[in-house]
Amino acid sequence: MELLRPSSAEEATGALGNGSRALAGGTELVPLMRDGLLKAETLVDVRGVVPRGIAGNRIGAGTTLAELELDAQIPQALREACAQAASPQLRSMGTIGGNLLQATRCWYWRLGFDCWLHGGEKCFAKDGAQREHAIFGNEQCASAHPSDVAAALLALDATLRTTRREFAVAELYRLPTEENRNVTTLAPDELVLEIELTTPDASTYLKAMDRRKWAFPIVGVAAARFGSETRFALAGVAPIPWLLDSAAALDDATPLPGTAYKIEIARALVRRATHAVKSASR
Amino acid sequence: MARLIRTEKEVEGRYEEVWIVVDEDALDQWPAGPLTTVGRRVPRVDGLARARGQAQFTADLQLPGMLHTAVLRSPYARARVTSLDLEPARSAPGVRAAIGPADEDQLTAEPSYVGHAVAAVAADTFSQAQAAVERIVVDWEVLEPLLDPDEAVRQESFVSDVARYERGDFERGLGEADVVVEAEYRTQVVVHNSLETHQAVCHWEDEGITIYISTQYIWGIRAAMAAHLGLPPDKVRVICQAMGGGFGAKNSPGDYTPIAAELAKRTGRPVRCALTRREENVAAGNRNATIQRLTAGATSDGTLVALGGDFVNAVGFSGWSATTEGPMKMLYSCDNVRTTQYPAKLNLPPMAAFRAPGFVEGTFALECLLDELAVKLGVDPLELRRRNYADSDLTDDRPFSSKNLAECYRRAEPHWAKRDEVRARSQGPWKHGIGLASQIWYGGGGPPSYAWIRVGSDGRAQVVTAMQDIGTGTRTAMAQIAAEELGVPLGHVQVSLGDSARGPFASISAGSSTVPSMGPAVRSAAADAKRQIIEIAAQRFHLEERVLDLREGRIVSADGGSWPLTEVTGLLESGQILGKGARGPNPAGMQVLTFGVQVAEVAVDVETGEVRVDKIVAIHDVGRVINALGAESQVEGGIIQGIGHTLSEERIVDPATGSVLTRTLDAYRMPTIADVPEIVTELVDIPDEHLTNLGSKGLGEPPIIPVAAAIANAIRDATGAEIRSLPITREEMFRALREADAREKERRGAAAAV
Repeated sequence: MELLRPSSAEEATGALGNGSRALAGGTELVPLMRDGLLKAETLVDVRGVVPRGIAGNRIGAGTTLAELELDAQIPQALREACAQAASPQLRSMGTIGGNLLQATRCWYWRLGFDCWLHGGEKCFAKDGAQREHAIFGNEQCASAHPSDVAAALLALDATLRTTRREFAVAELYRLPTEENRNVTTLAPDELVLEIELTTPDASTYLKAMDRRKWAFPIVGVAAARFGSETRFALAGVAPIPWLLDSAAALDDATPLPGTAYKIEIARALVRRATHAVKSASR
Repeated sequence: MARLIRTEKEVEGRYEEVWIVVDEDALDQWPAGPLTTVGRRVPRVDGLARARGQAQFTADLQLPGMLHTAVLRSPYARARVTSLDLEPARSAPGVRAAIGPADEDQLTAEPSYVGHAVAAVAADTFSQAQAAVERIVVDWEVLEPLLDPDEAVRQESFVSDVARYERGDFERGLGEADVVVEAEYRTQVVVHNSLETHQAVCHWEDEGITIYISTQYIWGIRAAMAAHLGLPPDKVRVICQAMGGGFGAKNSPGDYTPIAAELAKRTGRPVRCALTRREENVAAGNRNATIQRLTAGATSDGTLVALGGDFVNAVGFSGWSATTEGPMKMLYSCDNVRTTQYPAKLNLPPMAAFRAPGFVEGTFALECLLDELAVKLGVDPLELRRRNYADSDLTDDRPFSSKNLAECYRRAEPHWAKRDEVRARSQGPWKHGIGLASQIWYGGGGPPSYAWIRVGSDGRAQVVTAMQDIGTGTRTAMAQIAAEELGVPLGHVQVSLGDSARGPFASISAGSSTVPSMGPAVRSAAADAKRQIIEIAAQRFHLEERVLDLREGRIVSADGGSWPLTEVTGLLESGQILGKGARGPNPAGMQVLTFGVQVAEVAVDVETGEVRVDKIVAIHDVGRVINALGAESQVEGGIIQGIGHTLSEERIVDPATGSVLTRTLDAYRMPTIADVPEIVTELVDIPDEHLTNLGSKGLGEPPIIPVAAAIANAIRDATGAEIRSLPITREEMFRALREADAREKERRGAAAAV
């Protein structure tokens, strides 16, 4: 295996795209490679070329979750999402850019079952063990997206700048289709460089977990209020971070028998988040 | 004098009749209460070495030329290997040997659960071995697995006989009952997940084998591996100096030890076979799932008149069927009890003993059922337990050697009395409540077990016994016992253990038996040495032996004389005083058990189903306490493991294929420190006057037993919801809350109709 340390973003993107992979914090990439779920002959260490740090509304994609959770300038929803993610060790290594691109924790996918999301014929969770799985967008694949941070950025309506383009974070994600099973729109040789935040009047992130620390969300609810409008985004409920048009949209959920309980949790958290952003500021 | 007796031997609630040679135990027990070092709070004698990383675990061992093993494990719950080609593995880089079912009994061509070992490769590095395993070519004929325990009962697929028990007349008792409750409880599979995975390093030398292994039973490994390899037992040397957790799963050689031994034989090199974390979660044993369909009947005054249950143990493909019905048979005084236990054999990974196997599961169900009964009777749950207090073991009419459960209940009162105060903390969606549950279990240990002690001219002592310290603080407890008896400072005693070639036979560290089995032997060895020192001192100082004693490293006489111990031992120069001791018999005709009660305070968020444990008070009766600090840490460990069992841990399998889905520590959720509540430990610390020269029972298992029921009963107290299955997931919490709501509505409707 080869490890490249490019000195510019251009050099990095030039080295990406032919089966090579970008490496930042490594908290996701290294386990995926170790488990044989992802194969790459070349790793491109992008830590030297992706911006790191916080400047006003702009966050370098190489900024760690630990740095974000400590910064008082960052909107509550993002800070709380960072603080409730993973463990202190992982947050000190993992970057926000990498966090957005993490794969599902679906046990069938993680164990390398020949499932639909891996390009196979069927979603094993649909007839199988499914209590951690999706309640939305689960027609083909019932996996749940695990990123707390993505839900927060989606509610905050953040903008991403990559080596190619600038776009709303919502456009980073796509429901996988028969022809294309990817859950992001990022090209293989495209790097996330920067995240531009909005300034909500108030925001929050609430998370239900199986234990009190170091667990992926059963349901995570991010809410950001801009004037009289509140945006809700959910983690752990669909193959991608899920933008909820309104609290009432939970009525349209399409749960599996084993995931219906998530709706009840989501309702409670959306209600609490609504209340929290109504009064609070920033 | 040695005596030959016929006795019952108990491990983990399993009995066998054995002939046993026992030595008399002539020592009187020490007076009750804390002594000079015994009964005090003593930090671990090896704590610093562990904290510094100096303790030698099997996982630390690096022998020159040592090879590493990877195991091909079946991806199918039931299959037949129709062809197996090891050649591609043998020709892979770094590979020194590859073996299959034809080479080693522990490898199978008919795998019967996911994770069943089929082939193994030894290579210079672990990653080379792993890569080589990938190259093994296997043709599998995949067969339909049996995964459903109720279906196994229908098909009479059992690992052992169905166990039926009845005393009195259950049906008649039910007829006499004014109130009857029935419920079905389910408990899940949980995995030990020891920090140090199952592993062994095998090394053939001089026609014998040395086995370094993470084990709870050095002598059991020696016996099993000698039989497996056809060697005289003394050609098998077993070493375990420090051990990273076992919890019952490391009592036997498993598959990894025979595999390492065979590969070591073939290569002439030391070979390590260490399970990965994933293998640990699949194929290293587990606490099996249970289904318990229970009935309890009582007269209106709260007297239990009938207890009955069908208990299905989903044992897995092999293993043994624990006494899940044990608490129902033993905890309460009830004349009419009928239980049937079905040991379901399934195409799932085998069970292994896990900290009070059977009783953890059985106590959850029984103690929840008892609270349901208390609600229906309108009797206070603590009072209901007192009204049905058992004064003897009703399963065979034996008296208890000691039982201080009533004292435990008495000490629980001030905590239990806070019920209204705790409930009043409820605010918004968070409902607070208190629950309690009792504990009954074994823990008396037994013979044989031996210890030696040597005292040098410097007055320092070395305890030598081939026992193991499985991380429970055994070294410290044994040093305390020896120091107390010898009358020397704790720092003057060292304990040498962990090597079958260096020291006499010692007990298994399972079934809460280490202290009650080994402690008396160590004390008896120390007493033997002390007797000799006093004999020598009497001659040296021209005094009668009966006026002499040892205290704080000095020889003292009744008339006020006092000499440093070294004044006598110094006469030895290079000579030593050797003491030997043996564990005496258990009290004849008596049942030796441990007891306790725990009170849990919980809060439930009824909108999100979150359960938070705020506090657990644990009050246990385990006879004399040796190390008050170590005992407290055992209680805390048991409760934390119990909280995992109750709230978050579950091994999940794919219902169609039997494949284990929770193979990593992010999918299999053990509690973190953030999930740990305030834990208050109280030990009754009354020596069992009938049990050995110490009066001590074991404490490893008791604290985990009542945790789940205490939490579930507190949830009922807080919300009215009746928990029926573990772990208490959000889904289970919502189900129980919905049912409680429906019951409440029905009750109001009925009330309105009247």
